[in-house]
Amino acid sequence: MSAIALEDVRKRYRDGATRVEAVAGVTLEVPEGALWVLRGPSGSGKTTLLGVMGGMVTPTSGAVRVLGEELTHLRDHHRTEVRRRKVGFVFQDLSLIDGMSVRENVLLPLVPLGGATREQVARAEALLARVGLGDRIDARASRLSGGQRQRAAIVRALVPSPPVLLLDEPTAHLDTDNAREIVDLLASLRDEGTTVVAATHDPRLHDDPRIDRAVLMRDGSLVE
Amino acid sequence: MKRQLALIDFALGGLRRRLGKSLALTLGLAFVVALFGAALLLTDALRAEYARGTGGMPDLTVQRLVAGRPALIDVAVADELAALPAVRRVEPRVWGYYFFVALEANVTVVGATEARTLADGRLPAADGEVAVGASIADLLGLRVGDEIGIPVEGEVRFSDVVGVFGEDAAIRTADLIVATPPHARRLLGMPEGSATDLAIDLTTQDEAGVLTERIGALVPGARVLDARLLERTYELTFDTRGGLLALLLLPALAAFLLLAWERLTGLGPGERREIGVLKAVGWGTADVLAARMWESAIVATFGATLGAVLAYAYVFWLDAPGLLDALLGWSALRPPMLLVPAFDPVQGFALVAAVVIPFVAISVVPAWRAAMIDPDQALRGGE
Repeated sequence: MSAIALEDVRKRYRDGATRVEAVAGVTLEVPEGALWVLRGPSGSGKTTLLGVMGGMVTPTSGAVRVLGEELTHLRDHHRTEVRRRKVGFVFQDLSLIDGMSVRENVLLPLVPLGGATREQVARAEALLARVGLGDRIDARASRLSGGQRQRAAIVRALVPSPPVLLLDEPTAHLDTDNAREIVDLLASLRDEGTTVVAATHDPRLHDDPRIDRAVLMRDGSLVE
Repeated sequence: MKRQLALIDFALGGLRRRLGKSLALTLGLAFVVALFGAALLLTDALRAEYARGTGGMPDLTVQRLVAGRPALIDVAVADELAALPAVRRVEPRVWGYYFFVALEANVTVVGATEARTLADGRLPAADGEVAVGASIADLLGLRVGDEIGIPVEGEVRFSDVVGVFGEDAAIRTADLIVATPPHARRLLGMPEGSATDLAIDLTTQDEAGVLTERIGALVPGARVLDARLLERTYELTFDTRGGLLALLLLPALAAFLLLAWERLTGLGPGERREIGVLKAVGWGTADVLAARMWESAIVATFGATLGAVLAYAYVFWLDAPGLLDALLGWSALRPPMLLVPAFDPVQGFALVAAVVIPFVAISVVPAWRAAMIDPDQALRGGE
């Protein structure tokens, strides 16, 4: 079974009087346990396609399945359930809440489930330690460097143990060392069985030999 | 339950993160609740004060009208009325108004032979003795043992002050001069054997209607006042004044709600983004709304509680400076009062409904609008 399956997915935005087709009929299947990259220039539709895969952007038409579950026709709260159980998402702008500590940020997905259990807190702290943030757990998110914020955001996406991890420009604005650490982390997650899809235009990521497949997007369509 | 506790914890964190806005809204709400609460508490306290005072009011009061104006009534009529069935007692009363030049105000001169619920001090027992209300005593600097001179028909008559009414009965006694009936007649220039009105106590108040008709037939020109109707009139007076006061405060409420609406609907980019983050990390629309509702409920609860405490302190500890005049009127002899705490839970609920519920509701609307859109759009600041 494929982890993510898209079938003729289209997404149109209205920009004033004009319509913009951010995703123009994309069909693809990402196998389970793969590390894929969506690459392409800015404005090619990578982020929107990633949002569609994660159930955060509702496509204008087409079908989206995540681990066999059809998202397109689900009502909002069902889609939220699928996203909660199956998909971790890391945003391009990291989207940590600055006024909260690193610990509060990474445990945020568990609040609507009644808060984190002791085991989940332990797992979050172990993940933070694994990405080198063990000593920054109680620091405010606003006090973190770009690389640290990126890693904290990835940990937050991983805390609920999702089988699919989607990342938007995970190495943007990072120096070479930090970028390498992120790629190492993604490769090891893939090795542990997580399906990872990252949208990027950073060659340090899409040219890395550990990437299973790099898909090129242009003007909303898959080119290769 | 666990989910709600986690959401409350998150809401408290949200309030801390937006401390300035949270404090401003809490204080604004407290101010509005304090204004309305003070009006309600004061109205209730005055109504309760009046209810306590009317405990000894006669069941019926008979006056005589001549040419549509109150006239003196012959005390002999009292004997006729005392013979009617259901009449327990008839008391001819002597009272009237006297313009006191020194005070530039009317005082009420009353002839009383027993205390009923009026007096807090000793009532006059002999001619030449008076008891005075707290306002009169205060304004003229009178104490028990002093003399008060009252000009009557070109001659000043001196009376000994033997009692001063307490402030606890001030709403009824502030402007009173109480004397024995004969002395009161002399002070008011009334002939012997006359009374201002007749106070009638009944064996049962239910007979008031029937007796009113019979008295009307027996005493030409009689006007019979029913205590229950008088009580109702006073209640309506305070209700009306309280209502008018609340009406005057409506602009304050409207202004606050408009301000709150503007502050709350104008979700800043930070808050909109936060909602986008929450949805993106797996929060549903209902979760976002619940968290926002808890935030508002916490602000509303603190604001309303603070406002209620401020209102209570203003009314019962500070004696409602400014507001008391609006409810009691502006007579020259304003009764100094010790307001006794009284609170009507129904009105308390009405206050909560009028202020807190709209506040919580208007705070949820913008969050609902933001939470309904795709998280991706919310993060981009889209609408």
